Amino acid sequence: MKKSEQRDLFPGALEMMILRTLKRRPLHGYALVQNIKRTSNDLLQIEEGSLYPALQRLLKDGLVKAEWGISSTNRRVRIYKLTAAGARHLQREVSSFERMLDGITRVLARGES
Amino acid sequence: MNWLKQLFSRGRLYNDLSHEIQQHLEEKIEELVAGGMSREEAAHAARREFGNVTLIKEDCREMLAFTWIEALWQDVRYAARILAKSPAFAAVVIFSLALGIGANTAVFSVMNTVLLPPLPYEHPETLTTIWWTQKSNLRSDDDVPPIGDIADWKKRSHAFDDIAAVSISGPETLAGAGEPLQVRVQHATANFFALIGVQPALGRVFRTEESQEQRQTVGFQTVVISDALWKRKFNGDPGVLGKTFRIRNAVSTVVGVMPAGFVGFAPWDEGKAIDVWQPVNPESAEYAKRADHWMMPVARLKSGVTLEQAQLQMDVVAQAMEQAYPESHKGMRERVVTLYDALHQDAEDKLYPLLGAVWFVLLIACVNVANLVLSRMEVRRREYSMREALGAGRRRLIQQMLVECGLLAMMGGLVGVLLSYWGTRLLRAMAEHLPGGESARMNGRVLLFAVGLSILTPLLFGVAPAIRASRPDLNEALREGATRTSTGRRGRTHYLLVIAEVALAFVLLVGAGLMINSLLRMVLPSPGFDPANVLTMAVNFPDDQGKYLVRVPGKDLDKVSPKVAAYHQELIERVAAVPGVESVGMISILPPFGAASATFSVLGHPAPSPGHRPEGFLNEVSPGYFRTMKIPLKKGRYLEESDTPSAQWAVLISETLADRYFPNENPIGKQIMIRHESGQVNEDQPRQIVGVVGEVKQLGLGGAHPLLYESFLQQPELQGNAFLDCMGTLVIRTTSDVHAHEAALTTLVKQAVKEMDPDQPVTDISTMEDVLKKSISSYQSFVIVLGVLAGISVILAMIGVYGVLSYYVNQLTREMGIRFVLGAQRRDVFGLVAKLGLTLVGAGLAIGIALALGLNRFMSAHFWLYRVKPTDPATYAAVALVLASIALLACYIPARRATNVDSMTVLRHE
Repeated sequence: MKKSEQRDLFPGALEMMILRTLKRRPLHGYALVQNIKRTSNDLLQIEEGSLYPALQRLLKDGLVKAEWGISSTNRRVRIYKLTAAGARHLQREVSSFERMLDGITRVLARGES
Repeated sequence: MNWLKQLFSRGRLYNDLSHEIQQHLEEKIEELVAGGMSREEAAHAARREFGNVTLIKEDCREMLAFTWIEALWQDVRYAARILAKSPAFAAVVIFSLALGIGANTAVFSVMNTVLLPPLPYEHPETLTTIWWTQKSNLRSDDDVPPIGDIADWKKRSHAFDDIAAVSISGPETLAGAGEPLQVRVQHATANFFALIGVQPALGRVFRTEESQEQRQTVGFQTVVISDALWKRKFNGDPGVLGKTFRIRNAVSTVVGVMPAGFVGFAPWDEGKAIDVWQPVNPESAEYAKRADHWMMPVARLKSGVTLEQAQLQMDVVAQAMEQAYPESHKGMRERVVTLYDALHQDAEDKLYPLLGAVWFVLLIACVNVANLVLSRMEVRRREYSMREALGAGRRRLIQQMLVECGLLAMMGGLVGVLLSYWGTRLLRAMAEHLPGGESARMNGRVLLFAVGLSILTPLLFGVAPAIRASRPDLNEALREGATRTSTGRRGRTHYLLVIAEVALAFVLLVGAGLMINSLLRMVLPSPGFDPANVLTMAVNFPDDQGKYLVRVPGKDLDKVSPKVAAYHQELIERVAAVPGVESVGMISILPPFGAASATFSVLGHPAPSPGHRPEGFLNEVSPGYFRTMKIPLKKGRYLEESDTPSAQWAVLISETLADRYFPNENPIGKQIMIRHESGQVNEDQPRQIVGVVGEVKQLGLGGAHPLLYESFLQQPELQGNAFLDCMGTLVIRTTSDVHAHEAALTTLVKQAVKEMDPDQPVTDISTMEDVLKKSISSYQSFVIVLGVLAGISVILAMIGVYGVLSYYVNQLTREMGIRFVLGAQRRDVFGLVAKLGLTLVGAGLAIGIALALGLNRFMSAHFWLYRVKPTDPATYAAVALVLASIALLACYIPARRATNVDSMTVLRHE
């Protein structure tokens, strides 16, 4: 637990990004990593492997589900899908994240003036 | 459930994960290769970007949260292997814990049925009873109040919704409906059933106007019967309503049947099921005199009223009652207690000391095991140091040790449950007189309790050693020699634990010793007669109005029919003629079951003041009673057939009475005027003391009381206390072994009784020896249980002493080799070990004595002791001696072993 959190930006950030990415469409692990990397303009340097513990946790909590399928490169892979609970969870997390970000921005803005 | 499914499919889950990660890497490599990298470079880059595969897999597993279960399983297997390697250690630990857990489980199984269930009535928490006690002496002598008071309380107090009452219960003969049957009958007020919230299953309960006046004036009453009697006597016939039978000559019509399982309750007879309830009206003029103390009030608190508030109100009421009835109520007050407490007094008195005792046993067992575990931990220090050096976390080490302890405790618990099966049987004998006691057995709740104990005990005995051993000083442990000194700080914990064990065992042993001492003082002395080859059977007449007694109108007196004496006379003559009968006698109440309370004045002595009349305990006997029972004559003569109604009335007294009231004079020839205390009526004429007989344990085996004996031939016609006349137990001395005659005699006597009166039952057929045994069986089984527990605690403590000394000897071994080389004698080494043993046991005994003396108060309050003080020095000395000598044996074996050490092997080992 501790190790994965240290690699995160803040606790839960990686999970939030996974859920957000899966909201658009179901993906398998490798595609998911590439997707997150690309979307964040390679700003977020995460170890690719650190995705998997996070996915396990989301699976266990029932926020995503996985099915075996065939990838575009013709591999047998696990394809992750957002569940209804996952969608609700994402919504809550995003709004609380936005509130937090809003707060931080205000504090930073005051510091500058 | 989901995670359980996952747990069992975790192998597949892990495979999936590996496959997934493998695919991830390969996809990456392919992409990189497609981008122009060499395959080798690509593989490196892919791994680099992915991170540590093994770590990530572990992280994933952790996410799935099986790791702790896996680690646990690993620990369990490891622990099982380790324990299997040292079976002696495992056996001793499991045995200790089994005894501790088994004893607790057995006692709990009794408490579970006796003490824990609330009363099975509506809102049992608001049911109370009201005792009558002396103001000056609050706790002792709870009595039931005069029946007439109940009506006053209803008027004067506002704390209760309603007040009902039930009587003490007694055996009665149910006649006039086939074979006569002994049943347990109780009087109850009409509102009793509604007050406790129990509806009859069939018919109705009796009404207030159907009171006992009906019974007395027209010989008719309505009764309610129990489900059990309904099934036994009427085969569960639904048409039972309206059927009649006779109780004490009153024609009793069944108006209701109570539901199955309802057995009622009676003061001081908590465990006995009631068969018949008959009505009583507390407001009847009969009770206006306020001299009748035979009903226990049952009062329901108004909602929101606490026990304390009710008590405050009753204190005010008590004052008013004192003023209204100064003669009978002076100095008395009412004490409100919950019905639960009132009915469970006896059970609590017995079970709580036992609970304390079994906790002691468990505590000793835990201390013992802690000690053993600690010793083992120290032996295994190097193993732990090694494992820690190899990277095992401290938490993991502690966990592993706790798992070992837990495994031991579980096995101990398992064996304990088996032991408690047997223990419960032992306890049931003791608890059969307690409400619900006979149904005590293993059930789900009891098993849950045992499981709970098995979980609790490793925490008690395992945590301290585990924490300590997980803190091994690496350097010290790895340096081989460092642990080899005998006088380490480490030994101290062992010593303290052993001292504690010995002290605890001593306390238990003293408790058991005091009770065994009491029991011996009851059993060993002669009961005052020769019980061998005596058969007893009761032929009690119904003492109600009609056949044998007639109530004197308007007076508290009964007229005894001459038929009573004639019947007894004829019965005795018939029995005496039976072959195999050496002699026969009769007494109203068989020893050791009691006597009637009476006082007397001595003619020629100054008149006694009202509160200080000489008192004695009275029985009516046939002249042949003393010879049959072989009660020795000390002075004068026995009662004889010549003591007829027309002759001078005679009385026999016991030695205790003679010593107490005629200390400096010869009692023979003195005339006394006897007054029966119930009813307070003087006899018609004085009686002359014609003889002094030896002491008989008439009122229980514990105690000597002043006794009076009258002949049943010389009885006043009018009596305040006629029940003695109507009671009779035959004592029949047989010519040879009583058991050979028992069956034939019983048949013949029953035959004779039937010929004389077909409605008259013969009951309580038993040899005199069995009567005596049975009278103390409940106390005896309590003592046996306590003795077994004390024995167990001693065994456990001795295992502790032995274990610690053996450990000490092991530690000494090395040192000893050197000592021998340096010229020490074997004697010296023996002395060294023995000294340690004695010091430990001595310290344990000293603390134990202090502890036992401290608990003295508790013992005198809860352990029923007879002629033994709770500080009885002889018991203490005997117990200390027993414990010390067993301890010496436990010391001797390791000490002997120490002297047999061969100095060369020790040195070579170094």
